[in-house]
Amino acid sequence: MSVQPKTPEITNDSMEDRLYTVKYDDPGDSHLDVKVPDICADCETNDCVSVCPANVWREGDDGVPHIAYENCLECSSCRFACPYDNVVWEYPETGSGVTFKHG
Amino acid sequence: MSPALETDTPDEPNYDDAFDAIVVGAGLAGSAAALTMADRGLEVLVIERGSSPGAKNVFGGVLYTPTIRELTDFEDAPLERYVAERRFSMLSDEDETAVSLRPGEWHREPHNDSYTVLRGEFDEWFAEQAVDAGATLVTETTVTGLVRERGRIVGVETDRPDGTIRAPYVVLAEGGNSLVSEGANLKETERRENVAVAAKEVLEFPERDGVIEDRFRLVDDAGVSYHYFGEGAVGDAFGGGFIYTNEDTVSVGVAYRIEDAVAADQSPEETLNAFKTHPAVAPLVRNARTVEYSAKTIPEGGAESIPDLVHDGAAIVGDAAGLVLNNGVHLEGTNMAVESGYHAGNAIARAADRDRTDADALRAYPDALEESFVVQNLERYAWMMDAVEADRDLLFEDLPRAFADAGTEYFRIDRDPKEVHAENAKHAVLDALGGWSGAAKLAFRYRKMVT
Repeated sequence: MSVQPKTPEITNDSMEDRLYTVKYDDPGDSHLDVKVPDICADCETNDCVSVCPANVWREGDDGVPHIAYENCLECSSCRFACPYDNVVWEYPETGSGVTFKHG
Repeated sequence: MSPALETDTPDEPNYDDAFDAIVVGAGLAGSAAALTMADRGLEVLVIERGSSPGAKNVFGGVLYTPTIRELTDFEDAPLERYVAERRFSMLSDEDETAVSLRPGEWHREPHNDSYTVLRGEFDEWFAEQAVDAGATLVTETTVTGLVRERGRIVGVETDRPDGTIRAPYVVLAEGGNSLVSEGANLKETERRENVAVAAKEVLEFPERDGVIEDRFRLVDDAGVSYHYFGEGAVGDAFGGGFIYTNEDTVSVGVAYRIEDAVAADQSPEETLNAFKTHPAVAPLVRNARTVEYSAKTIPEGGAESIPDLVHDGAAIVGDAAGLVLNNGVHLEGTNMAVESGYHAGNAIARAADRDRTDADALRAYPDALEESFVVQNLERYAWMMDAVEADRDLLFEDLPRAFADAGTEYFRIDRDPKEVHAENAKHAVLDALGGWSGAAKLAFRYRKMVT
C-alpha cells in the first residue's frame, strides 16, 4: 500500500516554538521528586519520561530522570505511570505553577 | 501530602463556627456543591489553588448542561458554541471513514444541552454563581491535608499561615489528581490501566475572520464535536483524538490510556502532532497558531472504580470520585460532575438540618447518585472497557482499515460490474471480522450500545 504524503502544515510543531498563553510562575522548590533514586537508576522503562506530555521528565545521564519541574502542566500522568509508585507529586506552592487561560 | 492529622480533642469537635462546609476545588463539581449548599442556607467556603477558578482546569471541550441550567440562571453563562454536528471518524494511517450527525433539532434551544466552553472563563463564572448565592471563595490557597478527630473529618489543612480551617463537612472536589483524598486514605490511587493521559492544543487562525465557520460549515453559534478513532488517531493505543470548535479558537487533542502511552514509541506531544498531520485532520488545522498547550489525566475506571463517596464528615464528587463515562461513543464527565456536586450538597444540607456529620447521614448522596443517570450510565457500560481491550486490534486497527477498503471497493470506478465491487467490499469487512459468525459475535458483544 502506498502512503499518500502527509501535509504537516503546522506553524509551530515543537514545544520550544509554541506560543503559549499558559503562564508558569516558578514554584521555587520542585513539586516533583522521586522517593528512592536507586529505583530510577535500576528502572529500564522510565515510564515517567515516555508518558509526560510536557517533556518535564527527561532521561538523566545517571539513569535517574532529570525533572524540569518548572514547565510542568500538572497533569500528574507521571505519578500514575510509575510502576514502582516512586514519584513524589505535590501541588506547587500556592500561587505558582501553571495557569491556563483557556483550559 | 501529609496524612490526616489526629488531634487530641474533647468529645465534641470545636468547629470554628465560621463555615458549615468547606469545598476543596472550584471546578464544576465543587461549585455545584457550593451553590447547592449556599442555596440551602449553609455557610460555605470554597478553596481553590489556582489564581482563579478554572486556572488549573483542562478538559476536552463539551459541557453538558441539563443539570447546571437547573441550578442557576444560565442566561449569561460564557458559552462558546452549541454542538450542531457530531462526527465519528475511523482513521487508518491514510483513510477516514466517518459518520456525521447534523440534526435540525440541535439548532434549537436548548441545543441538546451540549456546548463548547473554555474552562478558564466558564469555571470562573460558575464559581461566581455560588458566591452570589452566599458562598465564600478563596483562591491561590492549596489544601494540603484533612484534619481528623476520632476518625471524623473536621476540617482542612492549607498552605497558608495558620492555615487550618475547621467545619463539620468537607466536600472533596479536587479533580482526578486527588492528592488530598488519597493522602487521607479515602480512596486508592487509580491504576494506570484506568487513567488516560490527554494532550490538547487551543488553536487560533490569525489570517482572517470566518475561518472556523468556513472550515467546519457553521453559521452563527453552531459548533462541532469531532471524535476520531483508530491507529491514525492515537496509534496502537486505546483512545482517540478530538476536535471541538470554540467561538474564535479550535481545541484539538488526543487522549489514550497511560498503560498504552508508556508502551508507545512516541510521547503524547508527538502523538498529538502526528494526529494533526493525518490527511483527514491537517486541512482542518492548517495555518493555525497554537495559543495554548495543555495536558491532563482522566479517570476512566468506570463504575468499578468509584470510591466510597461518603465518610464521616466528608463527601467526594466529580473527577475525584472517578465519575467519567467513556464508552467510545459517549465521552461525558462535565454533566456527572455537576450532578454529583448537586446531590452531595443536598445530602449535606439535609444532614446539617439533623446535626449529623456521620457517613450514614450523608448516604442520601450516593443513594441519589445511584438513582441518577451518573451511576446508571457507568454501570450500563461497565463491561465495555474489558471488551474493548480484548477487541483492541480489531476495533482500532483492523476495522478502520477494513471499512476504508470496503468503501474504496464499493465505489470503485472501473469496467467491472458492480457485483464484483460489492463482493470485494463485503469480504473486506467480513475477513476482518472473521466471517458472519465473527460479525454476529461482535454485534452481540456490543449489543448494549444500541439496545
